[in-house]
Amino acid sequence: MATYKLFRRFNPVIFFSAFGLIFIGLLAIYSATYNNPDVSGNFTKQMVSAIVGLVLVLTITFLPTRYISISAYMLYGLNIMLLVAVLFIGKKISGQTSWFSIAGFGIQPSEFAKFTTVLALATFLNNKEKDTDITNLRDFSIAVFIGLLPVGLIMLQPDTGTSLVFLAMLLPILYWAGMPNHVLFFIVAPAITAISAFLGTYYFIGALLLVLIGLFFFKKNILISTLVLTATVLSGLSVNYVYNKLQPYQQKRIIAMFSPETDALGSGYNVIQSKIAIGSGGLWGKGFLQGTQTQLKYIPEQWTDFIFCMVGEEFGFLGSLIVVILFLTLIWQTIHIAYTCKNRFLSICSIGFSSIFLFHMVINLGMTMGIMPVIGIPLPFMSYGVSFLLANLCMLGVIMNAHRNRKDYT
Amino acid sequence: MDLSRRKNVYYFVSFVIVLVLTGRMVQLQLINPEQFDKESEKNSVKTIITTPARGLIFDRNYKLMVDNKPSYSVTITKKEFDTTNIPVLSEVFGITPEEFREFLKEIEGTNRFIPTRIVRDVEFKVISYIEENREKLKGVDYKTEPIRFYPNKFRASHLLGYTKEISKNQLKDQQSDYYKQGDMKGTTGLESSYEEQIRGEKGYEFILQDSKGREVGKLNEGKNDIKAESGYDLILSVDADLQQFAEELIGNRKGGIVAIDPNNGEILTLVSKPDFDLNYFSGKLSPEIWTKLNTDPDKPLFNRATLTKYPPGSTYKMVSALASMQEGIMKTNSTIPCEGSFTFGNRTFKDHGAYGSIGFSKSIEVSSNVFYYKLVLKIGLENWTKYGLEFGFGQKTGIDIPEETKGNLPSVEYFNKNFPGWTQGWIVSLGIGQGQLGVSPLQMAGYCMTLANSGTYNQPHLVKFLKNPSTGELIPVGYKKRELNIDKKYFDVVRYGMYNVVQGSGTGRGIKTSLVDIAGKTGTAQNTHGNDHSWFIAFAPYDNPRIAICVLVENAGFGAAVAAPICQRLILKYLFGSTDETEIIETEMELPD
Repeated sequence: MATYKLFRRFNPVIFFSAFGLIFIGLLAIYSATYNNPDVSGNFTKQMVSAIVGLVLVLTITFLPTRYISISAYMLYGLNIMLLVAVLFIGKKISGQTSWFSIAGFGIQPSEFAKFTTVLALATFLNNKEKDTDITNLRDFSIAVFIGLLPVGLIMLQPDTGTSLVFLAMLLPILYWAGMPNHVLFFIVAPAITAISAFLGTYYFIGALLLVLIGLFFFKKNILISTLVLTATVLSGLSVNYVYNKLQPYQQKRIIAMFSPETDALGSGYNVIQSKIAIGSGGLWGKGFLQGTQTQLKYIPEQWTDFIFCMVGEEFGFLGSLIVVILFLTLIWQTIHIAYTCKNRFLSICSIGFSSIFLFHMVINLGMTMGIMPVIGIPLPFMSYGVSFLLANLCMLGVIMNAHRNRKDYT
Repeated sequence: MDLSRRKNVYYFVSFVIVLVLTGRMVQLQLINPEQFDKESEKNSVKTIITTPARGLIFDRNYKLMVDNKPSYSVTITKKEFDTTNIPVLSEVFGITPEEFREFLKEIEGTNRFIPTRIVRDVEFKVISYIEENREKLKGVDYKTEPIRFYPNKFRASHLLGYTKEISKNQLKDQQSDYYKQGDMKGTTGLESSYEEQIRGEKGYEFILQDSKGREVGKLNEGKNDIKAESGYDLILSVDADLQQFAEELIGNRKGGIVAIDPNNGEILTLVSKPDFDLNYFSGKLSPEIWTKLNTDPDKPLFNRATLTKYPPGSTYKMVSALASMQEGIMKTNSTIPCEGSFTFGNRTFKDHGAYGSIGFSKSIEVSSNVFYYKLVLKIGLENWTKYGLEFGFGQKTGIDIPEETKGNLPSVEYFNKNFPGWTQGWIVSLGIGQGQLGVSPLQMAGYCMTLANSGTYNQPHLVKFLKNPSTGELIPVGYKKRELNIDKKYFDVVRYGMYNVVQGSGTGRGIKTSLVDIAGKTGTAQNTHGNDHSWFIAFAPYDNPRIAICVLVENAGFGAAVAAPICQRLILKYLFGSTDETEIIETEMELPD
């Protein structure tokens, strides 16, 4: 039966979740740029990008998988070169050199780098001839290098938010590729302890206790356990030392990341306003184009990082819930595909992309609702941005390709 | 591999994250949305753009020429405005509801959330009405804005210039987005040429208001506000007293006066008559006045001092004299026989007397025409044009106001283009400054300055300094200076001629005074439409000139009759501070260096 066959090869759930988000995003961008002649073209640009992206998704979905895996390293290399080039000939916008301007369109190589880095990592971790083994220190280091090379270049732009995305996707990929539990624990423990130490002494002590329990649980030899514990304690203690060495303006920015109210003039102002906007939406929202907060343009650039304010204020709790459910559906479906897909390359890719979506979502929504640090990263499929949307749709294409070929091993 | 267990970790983590986010949504949007709703109402922020005060304008002695005064403008925030208030509001404004709707139409396309100015410079009773009925008149507000105020008796309308509301086209064409609908922009004169320095920077105030439109405080205690910054003040080279005196002297006549300090090109006075009251333009310009100014046959808006191009008449004779000597065609002591008339081809050109064989100095003193008919034919058109250019004719002087004509300096190309088949006969009348030659009083003053300086041309200008309003720092404005390619000794010859025009028995002897040696030259611009126009140029003191003047009076006939006395009075006023000869002598005022 034709429909049955189509369903087997084409995953409508994931497809429509993504395009549902794009649709809501378009509504929100329309509302955010309405009455603002400077950016009235953004809606049209996003619309055109979505249509171009649709073609891209379908093309990648029905591409033979080996085409993707063969070109992975090449795309990665090309992207790295672009990241280098953008530092020299890129356009500087609000302090960051992350754009190429081509025929009036801004191209942001760092957005595509997320996609190509996952492809390269998946290719490396799936190398059958060399039998890559993640538990082997050399292979582990190479994988980390592939994942962190773009981070170095992006930090030079400097774009901290995007750099964090790479760190956030690297761990889930390595874990999915077979990194042992205790290694994950050894990496995560010092990081969590450092953040806890920053929040206060009691948090620091609490985190240390958890780490001790963890070490006991894994029962590794005493040398390794001591090493991890020392690293954890040192990272916790050094946080305050490093912090005190920073310039006052740098300290201020870090504090503002965690408690926006202290920087009510800068990034904190956006968060306060965005909380009010979302909160005032109530259950049903104020209606399309009726949001007083967002229409008043309190929040600069609300069509990018703060797009969720529009949804929260104008479509209320129900609209916000739909967005979150669509994201959860998309992410769970992708994890499901990663699990069921027999092709290891596609499986690793899928888990990498789902991690990127998840990280973007939690940071972005958390930031707009005031429970996450202010790190400026956009909301997948919804925020305005040609490069960002196209990169997301490339990822969607590979995920759907994985679904189509989930029964094949090669 | 234990992928089935690891998969669950991923499911679990993403589920927990979504749960936390949803929980936060519930907290913000469902548990206490009223609080945020209230906060959002309270927090409705009104952005008020504050208009900066334009820079003030002072004369060379720091006398205030252009001031500012406060005025009230009524604004409307379209999002909040209730159109049922139109009848009552139009009554308060004293206009018809239709006219009020016109105002509203004009602000179409502006931001609906920001108060937009619909009427400027309203009376105080309008403001008190708005203040009393604030609750009823949602979206109606007012703001104070500084507008121009001219405190003096003199007008100086054309040099100061006026500001006018920016037009729709100017708004569209502007490079930046500085100007908004209804903003004032310098349109003519100094207000226009120094617009960017003088306008200042706008300020922004963020005011919190409640749901009834009442102000409840400032956003973030005013920390986000940006204060408006006043523009730079202008310190002019103009002498306000001399300006006023010049305006009084020319009275109801039409014409232009430009007086320059020859030592540096500073313009001391620039008068164009008839003029107009700049106060018309400071608040809301009434359409009736605007139409009247534009349709007046005497063209009061037209800057006669810098835009007219009349033939200079005999005042131009010194150019021919200098050209012939510098080109080696004549010697300083050469003479030309001057009969009562001159026949060239089949045309006879007349003169007002027969002087016999006379030299340069005499030819200027008596203003012989035959001398210069013959001379210009010896020089030839090409050389004649070359020396006109040297003195700045046929080109803009670069004065710091936008209104300026190049005039018209005929050349071989000009004749070939406009009068194909022209003959030498055409240039005969150019020799006495008539025909196609056209010059402005400003160019003439520059020319007179160069004669006074024996060949040094300083770019005429009105502004000496820009003054930073916050630091008080004076920023000098630079101007060009050049030396003409004419030998000084030739200047001595023509300057002596000009000396005799006044001090000897020349055409300007009527203004001779014992107080100071004045050198000058009369001129008459032939006018086919009515009485001839009267020119006079003069500089003084002869040995060490401190002022060079050009006076043009339209339809006043011979140059010596009207223009020369005006010149003399201005010279005395500038040099001695008074024009009463007995008073000057009695107080034994020493001529300052």
